[in-house]
Amino acid sequence: MGQGTSVTEPLLKVRGLGKHFASAGQTVNVLSGLELTLAPGESLALMGRSGSGKSTLLNILCGLEQPDAGFVSIAGEHFAADSSASGPNQQRWAMLRRQRIGVVFQEANLMPALSLLDNVRLRARLAGQSDQHCGDWLKRLGIGELTQRYPDQVSGGQRQRAALAMVFAMRPSLILADEPTGSLDVRTALEVADELFHQQAASGCALILATHDSALAARCGQRLDLAQMGA
Amino acid sequence: MIKTQNWLTGFFQKAATLVLLSVSVLLAGCSQESDTGGFAGLAQAIDGSQSEPFLQPGPGDRLRFPDDWGPHPQHRIEWWYLTANLKTADGEPVGVQWTQFRQAIEPRPASEEPPAAELWPLQAAWMAHAAVSLEGEHRFAEKFARGDIGQAGAVANPLDIWLDDWRLTQQPDGALRLQVNTPQWGYDLLLRVQGEPVAHGDQGFSAKSASGEGSMYFSLVDIAISGELTLKGETQTVAGRGWFDREWSSQFLKAGQQGWDWFALHLDSGDKVMAFQLRQQDGGFLSGTWIPESGESVALPPDALSLTPLGFSGATPNLWRLQIPQYQVDINLAAPAGSYINNGLFPYWESPLSVSGSHSGEGYMELTGYRGSP
Amino acid sequence: MFLFSASQFSNLFSVLFSHYRRHPLQLLALALMIMLATMLWTGVNHLTTQARASLGQSEQAAAARSQLERVDGQALTVADFVTLRRAGLCVTPWLEVERPGQGGRLVGVDPLAAGCFAQTAPAAGNNSPERIDSPESSKKPEPAWTPVLNGDPFIDISEAAELAQNVAPSNVSLSLLIVPPEPASALPADYRMTGFSLGPDTGELGDSFLLNLDALGFLVLLITALLLRSVYQLGMAQRRDSFALLQRFGVMPSAINRVLLVEILLLALLSVVPGVWLGRLLAGTVSGGFGQALDSLFDTPLYAGQSENWLTSIATMMAIVLVVCLAQNVQALLLRTAAVLSFALPAKLLTGFGVRPWPWLALPLAAIGLAVALLAQSLPLVFFAVALVFAATGIAAPFAIAALSATLARKTREPLACWRHTELGVMARRLALPLVALQFALAMVLAVQALVTVFEVTFDEWLGQRLAADYFIEVPAGASANAAAQWLAAQPELAQSGDWHQVVRGVAQLPAAANDPAMADPKMDNPKMADSKMAGSKTDRKAQSVDLFALGPVSPLLTMWSLQAAGDQPWQGFAAGEGVMVNEQLARRYPLAVGDTLVLTLANTRLERPVLAIYADYGRPAGEVLINLELLPDEFVPVFESFSISPGASDITMITDGLQRLWQVESVRVRDNKRIRELADAVFDQTFLLTRAMTFVTLVLAAVALLIMGWVFFSTRAWYFRLLQVWGLTKRQVLAQLGWLALTLTLSITLLALPLGVWLTWVLVHRINPLAFGWSLPMAIYPGFWLQLGVVSVLIGLSITLLMRSQLGGSSPKPVSAASLRGDER
Repeated sequence: MGQGTSVTEPLLKVRGLGKHFASAGQTVNVLSGLELTLAPGESLALMGRSGSGKSTLLNILCGLEQPDAGFVSIAGEHFAADSSASGPNQQRWAMLRRQRIGVVFQEANLMPALSLLDNVRLRARLAGQSDQHCGDWLKRLGIGELTQRYPDQVSGGQRQRAALAMVFAMRPSLILADEPTGSLDVRTALEVADELFHQQAASGCALILATHDSALAARCGQRLDLAQMGA
Repeated sequence: MIKTQNWLTGFFQKAATLVLLSVSVLLAGCSQESDTGGFAGLAQAIDGSQSEPFLQPGPGDRLRFPDDWGPHPQHRIEWWYLTANLKTADGEPVGVQWTQFRQAIEPRPASEEPPAAELWPLQAAWMAHAAVSLEGEHRFAEKFARGDIGQAGAVANPLDIWLDDWRLTQQPDGALRLQVNTPQWGYDLLLRVQGEPVAHGDQGFSAKSASGEGSMYFSLVDIAISGELTLKGETQTVAGRGWFDREWSSQFLKAGQQGWDWFALHLDSGDKVMAFQLRQQDGGFLSGTWIPESGESVALPPDALSLTPLGFSGATPNLWRLQIPQYQVDINLAAPAGSYINNGLFPYWESPLSVSGSHSGEGYMELTGYRGSP
Repeated sequence: MFLFSASQFSNLFSVLFSHYRRHPLQLLALALMIMLATMLWTGVNHLTTQARASLGQSEQAAAARSQLERVDGQALTVADFVTLRRAGLCVTPWLEVERPGQGGRLVGVDPLAAGCFAQTAPAAGNNSPERIDSPESSKKPEPAWTPVLNGDPFIDISEAAELAQNVAPSNVSLSLLIVPPEPASALPADYRMTGFSLGPDTGELGDSFLLNLDALGFLVLLITALLLRSVYQLGMAQRRDSFALLQRFGVMPSAINRVLLVEILLLALLSVVPGVWLGRLLAGTVSGGFGQALDSLFDTPLYAGQSENWLTSIATMMAIVLVVCLAQNVQALLLRTAAVLSFALPAKLLTGFGVRPWPWLALPLAAIGLAVALLAQSLPLVFFAVALVFAATGIAAPFAIAALSATLARKTREPLACWRHTELGVMARRLALPLVALQFALAMVLAVQALVTVFEVTFDEWLGQRLAADYFIEVPAGASANAAAQWLAAQPELAQSGDWHQVVRGVAQLPAAANDPAMADPKMDNPKMADSKMAGSKTDRKAQSVDLFALGPVSPLLTMWSLQAAGDQPWQGFAAGEGVMVNEQLARRYPLAVGDTLVLTLANTRLERPVLAIYADYGRPAGEVLINLELLPDEFVPVFESFSISPGASDITMITDGLQRLWQVESVRVRDNKRIRELADAVFDQTFLLTRAMTFVTLVLAAVALLIMGWVFFSTRAWYFRLLQVWGLTKRQVLAQLGWLALTLTLSITLLALPLGVWLTWVLVHRINPLAFGWSLPMAIYPGFWLQLGVVSVLIGLSITLLMRSQLGGSSPKPVSAASLRGDER
């Protein structure tokens, strides 16, 4: 368990988080008693084999799944397990996701019917940001010449760069990345990861990165191994 | 017009079937099993629950002439039945059949006036069959009519039996004239009856089962026939001899009886034979009449004769062996080649036959109730 | 012929089929769609067959046939029947009893007497003029249908005679139907043969309707094929990855195609059989409901199509499935060739090839189709034009929606709206085939509704005019119609409160155009007549006979006729003998317009009068001239004479008694027009209901098809709706987007179906009908019904949304595999 200490005010505080699933008549505890604190600018690597609860934790941290126990505080909003499913809470979570939490999946982060630029603009506008600098973000991520391309007209690495552009264009407080380089070849993965860490550092947002790749994990300030925890 | 006719055809064919079948079902009652068909479908078994009773023939009933040539409205079924073995001028054998049936739907005492024709009553239905068999081909036609309106009927004296334009009429000279016309063929025959009517069974009461059911039955067994046959647009003269049956009853097939086989024979010895059997699961009920060339006819009890089918046309036996040991008769009765099914509303087999064995001769056979016959 | 072994084949088969083991729902959807499409076509086909059969039978029931009458005018009795039967004639009694009150009409028949009708009618499929009972020919022909003597309306004549004793003699009539003897001289001298008819002749009307039914049946088949094709394409798209993988493993594409062919045939067979069964069940249910109410005019069972062969339906559907598969293969071949020829072509363009073939082609197709439909002078050409226009619309509609959405997306500044519009474009393209099917179905429903309503309204009105008089009295042979007219005119009560006119029908001659122009002043510029002029030039015309229809005196029974074209005060001029009227058929054929002068020859008398009006005359092709009775020369020999009488305050029996005395006959034949009206109404009601049912079924199933396709489509898009949620939209907001998409799609296709439907109505009413039958129907549109269709399309859209809502809930969807994100995702 890698619980870090921080001098700045925590952006994310997780206390006693628990989640279980019913599987084949038995209750499987995916998460139990999880504690987590993350300050702005910090990064956390989420490790663990498949099924250890990485994706579940990320889903809980953006409000798409409800925990069974515990408490989540994020960017000043507080959610307790027993009340997190309620309508107002859903509204608060939606606002958080819209404006403060950027999510990057392994793939399919883009709307296929929109150009890369329109994707970024859509995301930025949803977050309440101006869409004037969206082209810049694509440029910054090295695909400035591809703004009018559609997702199916560019490579996987370029798509993931566009996904990062989208996330940073919304100026998030927290980025949740779920194996963002998982489907890329080694070299491209490295480049995309470089971009991720670079922009994260530049923007000062917090990052939680779920990954199998220990080299990638090593680049994060903190590390949480769910496999050990769940055992 | 053709379309219209087809429409009417379909309608009336079916409707006729329905009426006759419903009549039959009505008569059969609910208890009757459906597989017992009466002769030509007419007489089904009886439940006896009619409010107005039909008269039942029984031993001791006697024939009365000439009244018995006319209809018996208080009996359920009756028929006038001519079969004839004729020859064309070329010597080609011709079989001719004409039958008129009456089936009562309601019995009516003889004393009672018939209902008014204007009411189109349906107390009785009449059916006429006519067939011609020639060169292995069998032609058959049938007609239906309701009774009591004049379209069909029978009068005893002078004898007149008709349905539409088919009729058997006594001529002033006593001879009978039989006229039948269909769109495709017809015949016009003069019948000269020789000899007196032969009463079958017990002075006319012919038992049809061991338990006493039966019918009134007599025949004219020696009829000289001459006349004209029209076929394929050609008219030719024909001549030969015939056999005329007259039979009525209210009760015929018992439950369990499947059908009947009937034979009328003119033996070259001059003797005549009538034989029939009513078939049932355990054999059947046989009966007959031996009519010697001269002298009194003799009723043949069930054990005096035997009938054995030897050959078949489809499901119908068309070759039989008849034995009457008492008169040294052991003969084969063979239908000519071909199918002789009267394919009407109620199909049955009606064919001329030739006699060989201990005797030679000719005659007619009528076979009903065979499964597989159409 | 397979070029690989059976075990290889089964291996490949199991590999390919494994896709469906992983995605059983896809297989289910595929099978369901084939089943539904089959059900649709079978059901509609079944209903059409029934409509055809029931109409045909009603027609036959109402068709004219022959009867016998006594020359001395006396009423027929049972004695006449017996006399005729014993003379060897095939007659059968027909005793009609009109029961008072709600009892209605019964017909007593004698099934026993009618055996001769069977013997004289040619047996179907039996060429032998004689009935020779050999085992081969011993099967009895099955009657066409099974009537029941259940009083609906047939009963045994003895029962009818019994009932007849309790009703007024005027409500009982005995007719003797006859199979005309050959030679006709065989008829006894005391009798003569006349026509026997149960109602107005509906033959032409029925033909027209059946023709339209056929056209619609064809459309349904087209829609079915579209649905099947869309299903098949969906299945192919879903399995593109597997095919690519197999090809990478060295399996020839042709081998894959063969396996797919076998697979789709198996699947089709498994789905087609229950589909056919369901379709028949459906047709039975739909027709059963109202069949009882209208049951069988003349005991005609509605379910006349019963004997239709199952194999026909199954074979047809299998053939369609096969065509759909082959089309796929042809497309694949094109794709491969194109790929080989030009590697540079973007794969996307090629993939889209089959879905939206050359949108630009739609315009010339539509232009040609519209022009041909307008100008064509033959039915096949018009049908061809309809096919062209439908093809054009089918190509253009999805493209139009996509193009519109693209334009909107470009214009909008709102990124979410931009996304919505682009997504709509994707849907329009991906769901092109079911969308087009829905569009066709909507257009068809719209056209059929308008057609049926127009038919109903028009005929109702026309029949109402023609049968305006309450009673119709035929003038017996030898009786004087003029004496009767004088007598009627002398009846004070009738003159005060009733209406009547005399009717004479006969034949007149129109002279040949070459010698003596029939029209002094032909209005060649009359647009109404312009098209018929193209059919044949005037000089070709020979002297011809036309039906003559003479009426007088002019009563309100006549002046209420609605006329298609008329000058000023036509009936006044007609009453004064100043002019004549012609029916639409004659006007179209000749051509004639109001104001033209018509030259007629009536029994060697020349009559020259202007055309005062053109009247509608549905139901028969013959041309007819209507003149005032007073213009008839004395030597004119009528074919038929009668009186139309509305007795008003006087009693019809008083009138008939008077005429009986006048004519010295025992009875007068009086026809109650109300009954004829009811008869005709019943015939049409039944047909119209069936037709409406047919189109309704089509619409419902097209909607269900779109529903399933939409559902499958949205399933592949579910991840992106989830993405919207990740991006901060609440579930409700996502659903709103979804609902907007579905509703916009269905509503826009409905909007696009409207012009097509209206155009189809126009073609049916104004082009096909006049070309086929010489008369037209008024064109009408029913915007109220459009609104109903709009509601239906909203319901379809809402249903898709609701289906998706359940998909959005629950566990989080996974993004579809990376490979399938290439291709036509957008």
